[in-house]
Amino acid sequence: MRISIEQWAPDYGSPMGPDALAETQAAVDAECEVPVDAWAPRSPAPGTTVPDEIAFVDGVRRVEARVWIESDRGSVHQGICASYAAGVVRCNGSATVVDAQVRRSVFSDAPDLVPIVTRHGRFGVCPVTDSAGDALSLALQGAMADLESAVSAPVPDDCLLVVDGPLRERRGMDHAVGYVKTHHVAYLPAVVQDVIPMLEPGQRTPVLLIGDRFRRWSWYLRLPGDRSHGWAGVVRCEISPDRTVAEAAAVADGCTLALPRFASEAHKDARAPQNLYPIAGLERELRHRLGDARLLYRSLRQAA
Amino acid sequence: MATDDLDPTTPAAAGTVGRVIGTEDATPLEYWVGIADDQFLQLDDVVALDRTLPDGQRVELYGMVEQVRARHEGAQYDSDVFLIEGGLLPAQVSRSAKVITTRVEPEVFVPPLPGTAVRKATGDERGRALHFDDMAQKVPAGLSRDGEPFFIDKEFLDGSRGAHVNISGVSGVATKTTYATFLLYSLFHSGALGAATANTKALIFNVKGEDLLFLDHHNARLDEAQRERYGLLGLQPGPFRSVGIVAPPRPGDANATPQVGSRATGVAPFFWTIAEFCKQRLLPFLFADAEDDRQQYTMVVHNVARRLEEATPTDGGGVVIEGQSITRFRELVELVDDRLNDDATVADWAGRAIGGGTVGAFVRRLFGAVDHLEHLIRADVRRRSSHPVDLDANQVTVVDIHNLNDRAKRFVVGVVLRQAFQAKEASGTAEPLQFVVLDELNKYAPREGTSPIKELLLDVAERGRSLGIILIGAQQTASEVERRVVANSAIRVVGRLDSAEATRGEYGWLPVVQRQRSTIIKPGTMIVSQPQLPVPVVVEFPFPAWATRFSETDGTTGPSTTPGTTAIPDDPFEGL
Repeated sequence: MRISIEQWAPDYGSPMGPDALAETQAAVDAECEVPVDAWAPRSPAPGTTVPDEIAFVDGVRRVEARVWIESDRGSVHQGICASYAAGVVRCNGSATVVDAQVRRSVFSDAPDLVPIVTRHGRFGVCPVTDSAGDALSLALQGAMADLESAVSAPVPDDCLLVVDGPLRERRGMDHAVGYVKTHHVAYLPAVVQDVIPMLEPGQRTPVLLIGDRFRRWSWYLRLPGDRSHGWAGVVRCEISPDRTVAEAAAVADGCTLALPRFASEAHKDARAPQNLYPIAGLERELRHRLGDARLLYRSLRQAA
Repeated sequence: MATDDLDPTTPAAAGTVGRVIGTEDATPLEYWVGIADDQFLQLDDVVALDRTLPDGQRVELYGMVEQVRARHEGAQYDSDVFLIEGGLLPAQVSRSAKVITTRVEPEVFVPPLPGTAVRKATGDERGRALHFDDMAQKVPAGLSRDGEPFFIDKEFLDGSRGAHVNISGVSGVATKTTYATFLLYSLFHSGALGAATANTKALIFNVKGEDLLFLDHHNARLDEAQRERYGLLGLQPGPFRSVGIVAPPRPGDANATPQVGSRATGVAPFFWTIAEFCKQRLLPFLFADAEDDRQQYTMVVHNVARRLEEATPTDGGGVVIEGQSITRFRELVELVDDRLNDDATVADWAGRAIGGGTVGAFVRRLFGAVDHLEHLIRADVRRRSSHPVDLDANQVTVVDIHNLNDRAKRFVVGVVLRQAFQAKEASGTAEPLQFVVLDELNKYAPREGTSPIKELLLDVAERGRSLGIILIGAQQTASEVERRVVANSAIRVVGRLDSAEATRGEYGWLPVVQRQRSTIIKPGTMIVSQPQLPVPVVVEFPFPAWATRFSETDGTTGPSTTPGTTAIPDDPFEGL
């Protein structure tokens, strides 16, 4: 028996969700690039080059206050006031935050919803059809994803666009690569799960086609760093299924070559190496731009 | 909402150099300014901002940049710089400047609000920031870093509101004497003294090298760029016009030809006759050492001086004491020794109840002076024209003492200083002013102990302002100089300081950054503090327009012998 300590700080949980190593029920086609029995770690094909420019997109959100809205007709509705931001870091020799945008909105299913104007910001209106369960939170996430799409729109097509998180919610970002740090589900059939521990830093698995409703190409790659256990430093990437398998494999090779240099080190990031430096920097910048939470809370209370 | 609107470094208006930041306290006396990306501020830049009060009153705050800094925003660790430069981590370089307020107009002391636009003050606004508009008469004191002139208020030099200049700095690199002479040049040639210019006098002691013996020569190395700097200050570059140079006689030379190495003409010798020595009671100035301060013989010194005063002068400058004719200092010392060793006369010469040991110490000390001073106190020179230091013959009188032994230096400085002081006291008016430039103040007015010269310098420091005698003193270390001498100086100047010295309390008027700066300051740069301005200002003064050594002269011997000086002896071979 061998025990190794998870690289991530305990606050962030583990990059492996509780079910990550369980075999998935989701549809997986592992034989797109190579047959299952030929599965092995793959190094980027000779001739693969690192894209001249890589752009990383990320968004952050924060619920500033929960609100209760009483409509003129007397009905009471729940809502949230939230700030969210999205931005792009372009890495082409220097890493620059080229576009960072902040939005503040009130999400609620209340009819006749009006913006809330506070001393430190105006909370626009985001009507939601249903406020049950986590619908409000999903609406906020959706709004943030839309903002991410908006800020990444000006990024040129020949630039490798990496989005933090799965592609799922991000429609309209066809040329983007989803970058998934946390594995909630193992998309690998058991027979090829053995390949993951064999990955060397800078190697990837063959491309899979996953998902039923949201189908996309996906592959796992290992970042440099601690290799205390077989899944250490492994991330999953995904791209739109509109590409051919050959195109997907080429993008996978590009990513496998390009991403390891952005991997963070344990003493600098609580989620090293998966939390890439540009994304961590962007996230800090975006959180900073959200403003001071206590100040916004106070101004919301004053405005209400 | 575009990113640009969020960017705090985007200037709002033309002419704005940045904005007051809110992450550091902004106070009425100091605040930080975030510098816009397309602008820069450097140390000593003068800036201005406006604040409108709730009642509509507009307050103008002027200040000077004391420190500038740049840092990475977005970096958490020192090593992040490599990630940032490697293009892996996004970060922003932010630059900000700390501003020390120099003036608030009107005097409503409110802090500038974060976000307030800050502009560079130029022209008249810069003048207001530095209080130039308050100055009735401005004395150019150098150029600030940005090539703009900097002035000292004449009223703080001439005694009307303050007087005296004190300059500190390491020898060799601090250019203390050069700056002192530059100030004099500026005073005499800027018109700040008005009609009194012609009669204002300066006495300069040349304590080291022969730097000051060529004040009346053009500097051949002065190039066009330096001439322009004089022009910026409103000065015409050139040598001092009226200079008299006196040097001690060559020891052992019966003709008393002046002992100077590099300058052949225009130097007059100076010495005192035995008669003057006795009559003017110069004896105490022979006992002006720290060593003398520890001895008990002060009483003996004064009693002997009193006896010598009674000596009968002769035509040749000698004296007759109790029938004995004396023309040489050695003879005088021997006579004093004789009287003090004679039981019959000792009480009369030394005073009552003076112990034999005390008398012995006095005599030993007196004999010790003979070798160093016999060429300065004498009546054996036939040609006796103009031997004393004549402070009125020229505008600038340079007394060269660099060749003299320490004890002789003290004697000369003490005697000449007393002469100047007494002349001013007798004249009864402050105008015209008498400036005195004296380096190595720590030697003449040391912090510890007392001596006749120190008393004199204290008198100058404390009463000189009303008498019209202005001391431009300099020293390596202000911490070794009598506090009251330094404290009475309205204008304080610092050149390159030793880093240990820079931390001393004597330089408390220097802000921390300028203290640091004083340890790396280049020759030709000084930090000048004047009472009106709360911040000392770093100034550069132009290369001297007068020669400071023979090689800088244009090769000719310069102006023919200046009035009152002559170096050609009647018979150059006499005494050989």
